[in-house]
Amino acid sequence: MRADLRRRSVLAAAGAAVPLLAAGCKGVGGLGTLPRPRPDVAVLRAAIGTEQALIARYRSALAASPGLKDTLDQVLDQHLAHLAVLRSRLVGPAATPRPARTSPAAAGQATVGLSALAAAEQAAAGALVSQLATASPSLAQLLASISASEASHAALLRMHRTAS
Amino acid sequence: MSGPADAVTRGALQSVLAAVDAASYGYGVAGAHLPAASRSAAQRDWAELQVARDGLVSMLASRGVPAPAARDAYQLPFPVHNAAAAVSLAGYLQNRLAAAYLGVVALDDPALRAWGARQAQACAVRATGWLDRTVAFPGLSARAVGPAPAGSAPDGSARPSASP
Repeated sequence: MRADLRRRSVLAAAGAAVPLLAAGCKGVGGLGTLPRPRPDVAVLRAAIGTEQALIARYRSALAASPGLKDTLDQVLDQHLAHLAVLRSRLVGPAATPRPARTSPAAAGQATVGLSALAAAEQAAAGALVSQLATASPSLAQLLASISASEASHAALLRMHRTAS
Repeated sequence: MSGPADAVTRGALQSVLAAVDAASYGYGVAGAHLPAASRSAAQRDWAELQVARDGLVSMLASRGVPAPAARDAYQLPFPVHNAAAAVSLAGYLQNRLAAAYLGVVALDDPALRAWGARQAQACAVRATGWLDRTVAFPGLSARAVGPAPAGSAPDGSARPSASP
Protein backbone atom coordinates (compact mmCIF):
# COMPACT_ATOMS: atom_id res chain seq x y z
CA MET A 1 0.00 0.00 0.00
CA ARG A 2 2.68 2.44 1.03
CA ALA A 3 4.89 1.39 -1.86
CA ASP A 4 1.97 1.92 -4.16
CA LEU A 5 1.36 5.40 -2.80
CA ARG A 6 5.00 6.23 -3.16
CA ARG A 7 5.00 5.08 -6.78
CA ARG A 8 1.97 7.22 -7.45
CA SER A 9 3.56 10.30 -5.98
CA VAL A 10 6.69 9.71 -8.02
CA LEU A 11 4.57 9.39 -11.14
CA ALA A 12 2.67 12.53 -10.23
CA ALA A 13 5.94 14.39 -9.75
CA ALA A 14 7.23 13.09 -13.05
CA GLY A 15 4.02 14.21 -14.74
CA ALA A 16 4.34 17.65 -13.20
CA ALA A 17 7.92 17.92 -14.38
CA VAL A 18 7.08 17.33 -18.03
CA PRO A 19 5.54 20.74 -18.75
CA LEU A 20 8.52 22.41 -17.08
CA LEU A 21 10.94 20.47 -19.24
CA ALA A 22 8.87 21.17 -22.30
CA ALA A 23 8.79 24.87 -21.45
CA GLY A 24 12.53 24.81 -20.90
CA CYS A 25 13.07 23.37 -24.36
CA LYS A 26 10.89 25.88 -26.12
CA GLY A 27 13.72 28.16 -27.05
CA VAL A 28 15.85 25.44 -28.59
CA GLY A 29 14.31 25.41 -32.02
CA GLY A 30 17.29 23.67 -33.58
CA LEU A 31 16.48 20.42 -31.85
CA GLY A 32 13.24 20.11 -33.74
CA THR A 33 10.90 17.26 -33.07
CA LEU A 34 11.79 13.64 -33.11
CA PRO A 35 10.52 11.80 -36.16
CA ARG A 36 7.47 9.90 -35.08
CA PRO A 37 6.76 6.51 -36.62
CA ARG A 38 3.87 6.83 -39.04
CA PRO A 39 0.69 5.18 -37.80
CA ASP A 40 0.81 2.84 -40.80
CA VAL A 41 3.95 1.20 -39.43
CA ALA A 42 2.27 0.13 -36.21
CA VAL A 43 -0.82 -1.05 -38.07
CA LEU A 44 1.31 -3.00 -40.57
CA ARG A 45 3.34 -4.63 -37.82
CA ALA A 46 0.18 -5.76 -36.04
CA ALA A 47 -1.28 -7.13 -39.28
CA ILE A 48 1.98 -8.93 -40.10
CA GLY A 49 2.02 -10.52 -36.64
CA THR A 50 -1.53 -11.76 -37.09
CA GLU A 51 -0.73 -13.26 -40.49
CA GLN A 52 2.35 -15.01 -39.09
CA ALA A 53 0.29 -16.49 -36.29
CA LEU A 54 -2.40 -17.70 -38.71
CA ILE A 55 0.20 -19.21 -41.05
CA ALA A 56 1.72 -21.13 -38.12
CA ARG A 57 -1.72 -22.44 -37.16
CA TYR A 58 -2.42 -23.64 -40.70
CA ARG A 59 0.96 -25.38 -40.88
CA SER A 60 0.21 -27.12 -37.59
CA ALA A 61 -3.24 -28.08 -38.79
CA LEU A 62 -1.83 -29.46 -42.07
CA ALA A 63 0.70 -31.55 -40.18
CA ALA A 64 -1.97 -32.88 -37.84
CA SER A 65 -4.74 -33.39 -40.39
CA PRO A 66 -3.38 -34.22 -43.85
CA GLY A 67 -6.94 -35.13 -44.88
CA LEU A 68 -7.80 -31.42 -44.88
CA LYS A 69 -4.94 -30.59 -47.25
CA ASP A 70 -6.98 -29.34 -50.20
CA THR A 71 -8.91 -26.80 -48.17
CA LEU A 72 -6.06 -25.76 -45.90
CA ASP A 73 -3.49 -25.37 -48.71
CA GLN A 74 -5.76 -22.94 -50.54
CA VAL A 75 -6.21 -20.77 -47.48
CA LEU A 76 -2.57 -21.00 -46.41
CA ASP A 77 -1.42 -19.79 -49.85
CA GLN A 78 -3.66 -16.75 -49.48
CA HIS A 79 -2.26 -15.94 -46.05
CA LEU A 80 1.25 -16.16 -47.50
CA ALA A 81 0.12 -13.69 -50.18
CA HIS A 82 -1.29 -11.37 -47.47
CA LEU A 83 1.98 -11.55 -45.55
CA ALA A 84 4.11 -10.81 -48.63
CA VAL A 85 2.06 -7.75 -49.58
CA LEU A 86 1.97 -6.42 -46.02
CA ARG A 87 5.74 -6.81 -45.73
CA SER A 88 6.25 -5.03 -49.06
CA ARG A 89 4.37 -2.05 -47.63
CA LEU A 90 6.59 -1.83 -44.58
CA VAL A 91 9.20 0.74 -45.45
CA GLY A 92 12.05 1.54 -43.14
CA PRO A 93 13.61 -0.89 -40.71
CA ALA A 94 12.28 -4.35 -41.26
CA ALA A 95 10.13 -5.71 -38.54
CA THR A 96 11.90 -8.14 -36.31
CA PRO A 97 10.55 -11.51 -37.28
CA ARG A 98 8.50 -12.49 -34.31
CA PRO A 99 7.98 -16.14 -33.64
CA ALA A 100 4.31 -16.73 -34.15
CA ARG A 101 2.44 -17.49 -31.01
CA THR A 102 1.01 -20.96 -31.25
CA SER A 103 0.46 -23.20 -28.35
CA PRO A 104 2.81 -26.16 -28.65
CA ALA A 105 0.03 -28.41 -27.45
CA ALA A 106 -2.20 -27.47 -30.34
CA ALA A 107 0.40 -28.41 -32.92
CA GLY A 108 0.39 -32.08 -32.09
CA GLN A 109 -3.32 -32.59 -31.82
CA ALA A 110 -5.52 -33.98 -34.54
CA THR A 111 -8.24 -31.84 -33.05
CA VAL A 112 -6.87 -28.67 -34.63
CA GLY A 113 -10.24 -28.47 -36.22
CA LEU A 114 -11.79 -26.39 -38.90
CA SER A 115 -14.01 -24.72 -36.29
CA ALA A 116 -11.03 -23.39 -34.36
CA LEU A 117 -9.40 -22.12 -37.54
CA ALA A 118 -12.68 -20.51 -38.63
CA ALA A 119 -12.91 -18.74 -35.28
CA ALA A 120 -9.32 -17.50 -35.63
CA GLU A 121 -10.05 -16.20 -39.12
CA GLN A 122 -13.16 -14.41 -37.92
CA ALA A 123 -11.25 -12.82 -35.05
CA ALA A 124 -8.46 -11.70 -37.41
CA ALA A 125 -11.03 -10.22 -39.82
CA GLY A 126 -12.62 -8.26 -36.98
CA ALA A 127 -9.29 -7.05 -35.64
CA LEU A 128 -8.32 -5.63 -39.03
CA VAL A 129 -11.54 -3.61 -39.23
CA SER A 130 -10.71 -2.05 -35.87
CA GLN A 131 -7.33 -0.92 -37.27
CA LEU A 132 -8.73 1.01 -40.24
CA ALA A 133 -9.28 4.40 -38.59
CA THR A 134 -5.63 5.41 -38.39
CA ALA A 135 -4.42 3.83 -41.63
CA SER A 136 -3.72 5.74 -44.83
CA PRO A 137 -6.51 5.33 -47.43
CA SER A 138 -4.66 2.80 -49.59
CA LEU A 139 -3.54 0.74 -46.60
CA ALA A 140 -7.09 0.85 -45.22
CA GLN A 141 -8.33 -0.63 -48.51
CA LEU A 142 -5.68 -3.34 -48.42
CA LEU A 143 -6.51 -4.23 -44.80
CA ALA A 144 -10.23 -4.25 -45.55
CA SER A 145 -9.64 -6.56 -48.51
CA ILE A 146 -7.52 -8.90 -46.39
CA SER A 147 -10.21 -8.75 -43.71
CA ALA A 148 -12.81 -9.74 -46.33
CA SER A 149 -10.56 -12.60 -47.45
CA GLU A 150 -10.31 -13.82 -43.86
CA ALA A 151 -14.05 -13.59 -43.31
CA SER A 152 -14.50 -15.70 -46.46
CA HIS A 153 -11.92 -18.19 -45.17
CA ALA A 154 -14.05 -18.58 -42.05
CA ALA A 155 -17.09 -19.18 -44.25
CA LEU A 156 -15.23 -21.72 -46.42
CA LEU A 157 -13.96 -23.63 -43.39
CA ARG A 158 -17.47 -23.76 -41.92
CA MET A 159 -18.87 -25.01 -45.23
CA HIS A 160 -16.26 -27.75 -45.43
CA ARG A 161 -16.74 -28.71 -41.80
CA THR A 162 -20.44 -29.18 -42.47
CA ALA A 163 -19.72 -31.12 -45.65
CA SER A 164 -17.13 -33.47 -44.16
CA MET B 1 -21.32 23.16 -46.02
CA SER B 2 -20.43 21.02 -48.99
CA GLY B 3 -16.70 20.58 -49.56
CA PRO B 4 -14.45 18.40 -51.66
CA ALA B 5 -14.50 15.66 -49.01
CA ASP B 6 -18.28 15.55 -49.17
CA ALA B 7 -18.13 15.23 -52.94
CA VAL B 8 -15.72 12.29 -52.61
CA THR B 9 -18.03 10.63 -50.07
CA ARG B 10 -21.05 11.12 -52.32
CA GLY B 11 -19.11 9.72 -55.28
CA ALA B 12 -18.07 6.61 -53.33
CA LEU B 13 -21.64 5.98 -52.14
CA GLN B 14 -22.99 6.51 -55.66
CA SER B 15 -20.48 3.98 -56.99
CA VAL B 16 -21.69 1.44 -54.44
CA LEU B 17 -25.28 2.15 -55.45
CA ALA B 18 -24.41 1.62 -59.12
CA ALA B 19 -22.69 -1.69 -58.25
CA VAL B 20 -25.73 -2.76 -56.19
CA ASP B 21 -28.05 -2.00 -59.11
CA ALA B 22 -25.81 -3.83 -61.57
CA ALA B 23 -25.68 -6.82 -59.19
CA SER B 24 -29.47 -6.83 -58.77
CA TYR B 25 -29.85 -6.97 -62.55
CA GLY B 26 -27.22 -9.71 -62.79
CA TYR B 27 -28.97 -11.82 -60.16
CA GLY B 28 -32.16 -11.55 -62.21
CA VAL B 29 -30.31 -13.04 -65.19
CA ALA B 30 -28.51 -15.65 -63.07
CA GLY B 31 -31.73 -16.70 -61.32
CA ALA B 32 -33.27 -17.79 -64.60
CA HIS B 33 -30.44 -20.31 -65.14
CA LEU B 34 -29.92 -21.58 -61.61
CA PRO B 35 -31.19 -24.98 -60.49
CA ALA B 36 -34.03 -24.89 -58.00
CA ALA B 37 -31.67 -25.75 -55.12
CA SER B 38 -29.62 -22.58 -55.66
CA ARG B 39 -32.50 -20.28 -56.37
CA SER B 40 -33.31 -19.56 -52.73
CA ALA B 41 -29.70 -18.48 -52.12
CA ALA B 42 -29.96 -16.15 -55.12
CA GLN B 43 -33.23 -14.75 -53.81
CA ARG B 44 -31.66 -14.18 -50.40
CA ASP B 45 -28.74 -12.31 -51.98
CA TRP B 46 -31.13 -10.32 -54.15
CA ALA B 47 -33.20 -9.35 -51.10
CA GLU B 48 -30.02 -8.22 -49.34
CA LEU B 49 -29.18 -6.08 -52.34
CA GLN B 50 -32.56 -4.35 -52.05
CA VAL B 51 -31.89 -3.67 -48.36
CA ALA B 52 -28.46 -2.31 -49.29
CA ARG B 53 -30.05 -0.10 -51.95
CA ASP B 54 -32.53 1.35 -49.45
CA GLY B 55 -29.72 2.07 -47.02
CA LEU B 56 -27.61 3.78 -49.67
CA VAL B 57 -30.54 5.89 -50.85
CA SER B 58 -30.99 7.10 -47.25
CA MET B 59 -27.28 7.80 -46.85
CA LEU B 60 -27.26 9.82 -50.06
CA ALA B 61 -30.50 11.62 -49.14
CA SER B 62 -29.02 12.68 -45.80
CA ARG B 63 -26.24 14.30 -47.84
CA GLY B 64 -28.74 16.08 -50.06
CA VAL B 65 -28.20 13.82 -53.06
CA PRO B 66 -31.11 12.21 -54.87
CA ALA B 67 -30.37 8.59 -55.79
CA PRO B 68 -30.53 7.80 -59.49
CA ALA B 69 -32.94 5.09 -60.55
CA ALA B 70 -31.51 1.76 -61.63
CA ARG B 71 -31.03 1.27 -65.35
CA ASP B 72 -33.14 -1.14 -67.34
CA ALA B 73 -30.16 -3.30 -68.27
CA TYR B 74 -26.48 -3.70 -67.48
CA GLN B 75 -23.75 -5.31 -69.52
CA LEU B 76 -22.76 -8.69 -68.15
CA PRO B 77 -19.09 -9.68 -67.95
CA PHE B 78 -19.70 -12.90 -69.90
CA PRO B 79 -22.63 -14.69 -71.53
CA VAL B 80 -24.85 -16.57 -69.09
CA HIS B 81 -26.68 -19.50 -70.68
CA ASN B 82 -26.34 -22.26 -68.10
CA ALA B 83 -26.17 -22.95 -64.37
CA ALA B 84 -22.36 -22.93 -64.18
CA ALA B 85 -22.15 -19.50 -65.77
CA ALA B 86 -24.97 -18.28 -63.52
CA VAL B 87 -23.04 -19.36 -60.42
CA SER B 88 -19.87 -17.70 -61.74
CA LEU B 89 -21.83 -14.53 -62.39
CA ALA B 90 -23.15 -14.41 -58.82
CA GLY B 91 -19.62 -14.77 -57.47
CA TYR B 92 -18.30 -12.20 -59.91
CA LEU B 93 -20.99 -9.66 -58.99
CA GLN B 94 -20.18 -10.01 -55.29
CA ASN B 95 -16.50 -9.34 -55.96
CA ARG B 96 -17.44 -6.26 -57.99
CA LEU B 97 -19.59 -5.08 -55.14
CA ALA B 98 -16.72 -5.64 -52.69
CA ALA B 99 -14.58 -3.40 -54.93
CA ALA B 100 -17.18 -0.62 -54.69
CA TYR B 101 -17.32 -0.94 -50.90
CA LEU B 102 -13.53 -0.65 -50.75
CA GLY B 103 -14.00 2.77 -52.32
CA VAL B 104 -15.86 3.76 -49.14
CA VAL B 105 -13.02 2.35 -47.02
CA ALA B 106 -10.67 4.93 -48.59
CA LEU B 107 -12.75 7.82 -47.20
CA ASP B 108 -11.63 9.75 -44.11
CA ASP B 109 -14.68 9.03 -41.96
CA PRO B 110 -13.76 6.14 -39.60
CA ALA B 111 -17.38 5.02 -39.24
CA LEU B 112 -17.82 4.82 -43.01
CA ARG B 113 -14.52 2.96 -43.32
CA ALA B 114 -15.62 0.31 -40.85
CA TRP B 115 -19.03 0.05 -42.50
CA GLY B 116 -17.49 -0.35 -45.96
CA ALA B 117 -15.11 -3.01 -44.65
CA ARG B 118 -17.92 -5.02 -43.05
CA GLN B 119 -19.92 -4.83 -46.26
CA ALA B 120 -16.89 -5.99 -48.27
CA GLN B 121 -16.57 -8.93 -45.84
CA ALA B 122 -20.20 -9.86 -46.44
CA CYS B 123 -19.65 -9.71 -50.22
CA ALA B 124 -16.60 -11.98 -50.00
CA VAL B 125 -18.53 -14.44 -47.82
CA ARG B 126 -21.40 -14.52 -50.33
CA ALA B 127 -18.97 -14.96 -53.25
CA THR B 128 -17.42 -17.92 -51.43
CA GLY B 129 -20.86 -19.42 -50.90
CA TRP B 130 -21.32 -19.43 -54.69
CA LEU B 131 -17.85 -20.34 -55.87
CA ASP B 132 -16.69 -22.63 -53.01
CA ARG B 133 -13.32 -20.92 -53.06
CA THR B 134 -11.76 -17.78 -51.67
CA VAL B 135 -9.41 -15.14 -53.03
CA ALA B 136 -6.54 -13.39 -51.27
CA PHE B 137 -7.64 -9.85 -52.08
CA PRO B 138 -11.38 -9.55 -52.67
CA GLY B 139 -12.30 -6.38 -54.51
CA LEU B 140 -8.73 -5.29 -55.23
CA SER B 141 -7.07 -5.30 -58.63
CA ALA B 142 -3.54 -6.61 -59.15
CA ARG B 143 -2.36 -3.03 -59.53
CA ALA B 144 -3.88 -1.94 -56.22
CA VAL B 145 -2.26 -4.85 -54.39
CA GLY B 146 1.15 -3.92 -55.75
CA PRO B 147 3.94 -6.22 -56.77
CA ALA B 148 2.32 -9.57 -56.24
CA PRO B 149 4.35 -12.45 -54.94
CA ALA B 150 4.50 -15.53 -57.14
CA GLY B 151 1.49 -17.72 -56.79
CA SER B 152 -0.94 -15.11 -55.56
CA ALA B 153 -3.62 -14.19 -58.00
CA PRO B 154 -5.77 -11.20 -57.19
CA ASP B 155 -9.28 -11.90 -58.29
CA GLY B 156 -9.29 -9.49 -61.23
CA SER B 157 -12.62 -8.20 -60.04
CA ALA B 158 -11.86 -4.68 -61.19
CA ARG B 159 -12.39 -5.69 -64.79
CA PRO B 160 -14.53 -2.94 -66.26
CA SER B 161 -16.82 -5.28 -68.17
CA ALA B 162 -19.55 -5.42 -65.51
CA SER B 163 -19.93 -1.67 -65.47
CA PRO B 164 -23.16 -0.36 -66.85
